[in-house]
Amino acid sequence: MEVEIRIQPGLKEPKAILLAGSESGELRRLADSLSRLSLGPIPVSRGEERLLLPQGEFLRFYTDGKGVSAQTAEDVCAVRLRLYELEEMLDRTRFVRISSGEIINLDRVTAVDLSLSGTIRMTLDGTIHAYVSRRYMKKIKETLHLGRRDKHGKA
Amino acid sequence: MEKLKWNRIARVLVGAVLGLVISVVLVSYMVGARGPTAVTCLLCISLGGAVGAATLPFADDGRSLLLYSAAHLGVTAVLFFLLTLELGARGTELLAWQVILLLVYAVVWLGRWIGWYVEVRQLRSLLGLAPGPSPLKWRETLPYLPFVVFLCDGLPLLLRWADHAVSADVPVLSGLLLPYLLLPAAGFSSGLSLGKRQGWCPLYPAACFLCYLPMVWLLFNSSALFHCFMVAVPALVGCALGWLSHRRTRGADN
Repeated sequence: MEVEIRIQPGLKEPKAILLAGSESGELRRLADSLSRLSLGPIPVSRGEERLLLPQGEFLRFYTDGKGVSAQTAEDVCAVRLRLYELEEMLDRTRFVRISSGEIINLDRVTAVDLSLSGTIRMTLDGTIHAYVSRRYMKKIKETLHLGRRDKHGKA
Repeated sequence: MEKLKWNRIARVLVGAVLGLVISVVLVSYMVGARGPTAVTCLLCISLGGAVGAATLPFADDGRSLLLYSAAHLGVTAVLFFLLTLELGARGTELLAWQVILLLVYAVVWLGRWIGWYVEVRQLRSLLGLAPGPSPLKWRETLPYLPFVVFLCDGLPLLLRWADHAVSADVPVLSGLLLPYLLLPAAGFSSGLSLGKRQGWCPLYPAACFLCYLPMVWLLFNSSALFHCFMVAVPALVGCALGWLSHRRTRGADN
């Protein structure tokens, strides 16, 4: 399939137009999978500064008692959205909720460990640890099975 | 949450009903022709309810899982103790039933843990990560097994032979040097070495214990059973200390 990218300054979220000779099942599936992708930036606050950061920069979003925080490789920013609102905005093939208080970026997972007491720990970028609640395991596996990954590596 | 609550209640009720059925059918058969007493019925119903709720603690993880599981084991053990007492068990028989209950619990735990391990392996595979260590690190422990066999089987045979060869009145080598110096020191050092390299390996102290066990009856008698602990406990402590050091080193690396 021929793919063409056109840069249009000012556009907040990418828009895809599919050109085809006739309608088909494959075309409908492709349109469905593209419409599921959420690629828009996420608004965060760093001190007094308001920023729009691309989703790929985030390691995780978590509640810390005061509100929701977003962790990037460099620092931690405040987010004015609730976790369930973030879940709606984030790319569902990349971000997944792993406990009642945390959403992680699966692309940044570098290790998964199991303790003797059954705690599953995910390491993000080799330094940040996130703990998986077993109640969310089914959802995590479903996300991973969304077609983005296969047995041999990241897509 | 409401669904989970009803699920718990349903399981406990099903267990309680099965307990009642068992008390009527099985207890009558075991104790004799007469039917079960009210106390027996009550204990069977309670125990059935506790068994029905047995898988529920495993829905959680970490600290809450350990707490729930310990509380569940405590309640089950008390009910089971009272039931076996009511059914006529006394002394060591009571103890034996408790040990059996503990073993069943250990097997259930191991089964659950292996299930979680398989899930984690699946996650690693889906994420494109390396497969990680083997279950309970049995493969990582294997290179230390020849040393364990030498320490726990070869060395006792050798020292016992040496004691006989010199025809000493007191078997200094196999009766004193081995259990009080060689086994603890070697068990601790090897456990420490393994722990430092591979982290926590729970099978290593168990392997030390099991490898020495045949020597107790082959070379000594049941009074030498403590030799098994003289090697297994230091191996456990060494492995735990090595694991702590391993964690600290990895933390520093990160």
